[in-house]
Amino acid sequence: MKKKNMLGRRLTGEPASTWFFLTPASLVLLITAVAPLCYSFIISFFEYKLNRPNAEPSWVGLDNYAQIFQQDMFWTVLQNTAFFAVLSVSLEIIFGVLFALLLTNNRKSTRIITAILLIPMIMAPIASGTLWRMMFDRTTGVINYLISLLGFQPINFLGSSKYAIYAVTFVDIWRLTPWVTIIVSSALKGISGSYIEAAVVDGASRFQIVKNIILPLLRPTLMLVLMIRFTDAFKVFDTVYVMTGGGPGNSTEMLPNYIYNQALKYMNVGYASALAFVLIGCMAVISVFFIHLRNKAYRSVR
Amino acid sequence: MKRRKTHFSVDDTINNFLGRPVRKIAIAIMLISVLFPLYWLASNSVKMESEYLRNPPVMVPSQVTFDNYRSVFSESGAGRSLFNTVVISVCTTVACVSLGSMAGYAIAKGKMNKKLRSGFSLWYMIQKMYPAVCIAIPIYLVMREVKLIDTQLGLIIVNTSFNLPLTTWLMIGFFQDMPEEMEQAGVIDGCNMFQRFFLLALPINKPGLIAAAILTFNSTWNEFLFACILSINKSKTLPVVLAGFMTDRGLEWGPMAALSMVLIIPVVILVWALQKDFISGMTMGSVKE
Repeated sequence: MKKKNMLGRRLTGEPASTWFFLTPASLVLLITAVAPLCYSFIISFFEYKLNRPNAEPSWVGLDNYAQIFQQDMFWTVLQNTAFFAVLSVSLEIIFGVLFALLLTNNRKSTRIITAILLIPMIMAPIASGTLWRMMFDRTTGVINYLISLLGFQPINFLGSSKYAIYAVTFVDIWRLTPWVTIIVSSALKGISGSYIEAAVVDGASRFQIVKNIILPLLRPTLMLVLMIRFTDAFKVFDTVYVMTGGGPGNSTEMLPNYIYNQALKYMNVGYASALAFVLIGCMAVISVFFIHLRNKAYRSVR
Repeated sequence: MKRRKTHFSVDDTINNFLGRPVRKIAIAIMLISVLFPLYWLASNSVKMESEYLRNPPVMVPSQVTFDNYRSVFSESGAGRSLFNTVVISVCTTVACVSLGSMAGYAIAKGKMNKKLRSGFSLWYMIQKMYPAVCIAIPIYLVMREVKLIDTQLGLIIVNTSFNLPLTTWLMIGFFQDMPEEMEQAGVIDGCNMFQRFFLLALPINKPGLIAAAILTFNSTWNEFLFACILSINKSKTLPVVLAGFMTDRGLEWGPMAALSMVLIIPVVILVWALQKDFISGMTMGSVKE
């Protein structure tokens, strides 16, 4: 106790330094992130159409929000986003965990495979979108060529409202399964080998060990990964923008693209801001839900 | 409770839980599905025009040509946008790492009461989650007002704002992992907070700084939404040029693939060189408690 006091006296100049360290970053964030968010929130209660000359915001209360929920377009977009999120995230988790299980070891070959797996994840989403757009092309694309080798009719993936959303989802899975693999793999490395040794001694089969010991131990990490992937899936923009632009029709229009179009194409600022807060609301609900699940999983592991 | 490295049986048990042949086949399928598209991109970028548009597609180019690369640099302004991308990414990285490590140090080791400390770290955590598109309008309006549209500085500011929460969050984690005794030894030796930061905390946490830097660099390099909104001509980055390629030049897979390669190769080299730090940063930034 005495020692702490002595240190405490020497630290008298510290609070000032602490604030000096903290202020620049906090100021930058306040000005460039918090303030714009507040502005968006306020303007979401106004009608403000920037494409009209001398446009002035006019107070409309909750009208923008009411309008959102009345429009069919919004429900289509929400449905697309949810479909995309559920399908891509669940497949990413399944494949990601599978490959993490197959690949967590200290071998040299694994390091090389990891290096290869990093590429889809670190390349710009714009580039992976372009790459797959090239592969999915109806006439010159290699996918349709491979399909025709198997004896099937070519499919116009990006030009049909039925298949386009699957193509976009597929690209997201291609891009982010490696991310899940790497995160889960690092969690796997943290699991103590003694559990597994004990199970081996007890005569459990490998499959039983993975099913009954490893997967339950991974639960808290998986909940967190689910949360991050889900909220990220609701932010998808680049891939859709470059692959389909939301089309054909509205079949691949997702929430961020919808907001972007409302805001910067139609300059419908108030409405777009309200949409933005609906998106934030969705993400908040998802986060809280998964944090709750994760805490539950964490308690059960302990 | 670290797994002992001598027990190969542990890894082996998990790796082969579906049997050895299944493992081999699954890994082979995975490698093909990752590598084939990349091969397709790389090969298209060196194909001649008659080959990249042929139906059925040409699997192996009969002749390797660098015309596509030449054409994107001379006609599409790849040189200028490459320069923009480098400048914006480097400046953003420097800004984020310096501001973020300072803030992270203050939150992890500084003198403040407990509530404030957890308040700040919660703020930074929530801040790294909000979708960028939600502040597109105010940012656009303000940038137009202060005449930062179509400038590198505007994009540096925006990207710094997006990446700062993650950098700070990462640095909080790294600084918290530092043993407390070290900090106290510094205090006893009479170092003030600045000296402890620059002479103790930063040198010890070099891997943390590298991790934060590479994550920021990668995300800024690939950033598209704001680069697209805030640039008209002069400050276009590579992703913007690539996304506009279809409308500007039509169905030219060759040059398009070449431009994609120019966009991808620098980050791949960088991340491979710093693979360990990149992975540790990524893991820490997402699943840390």
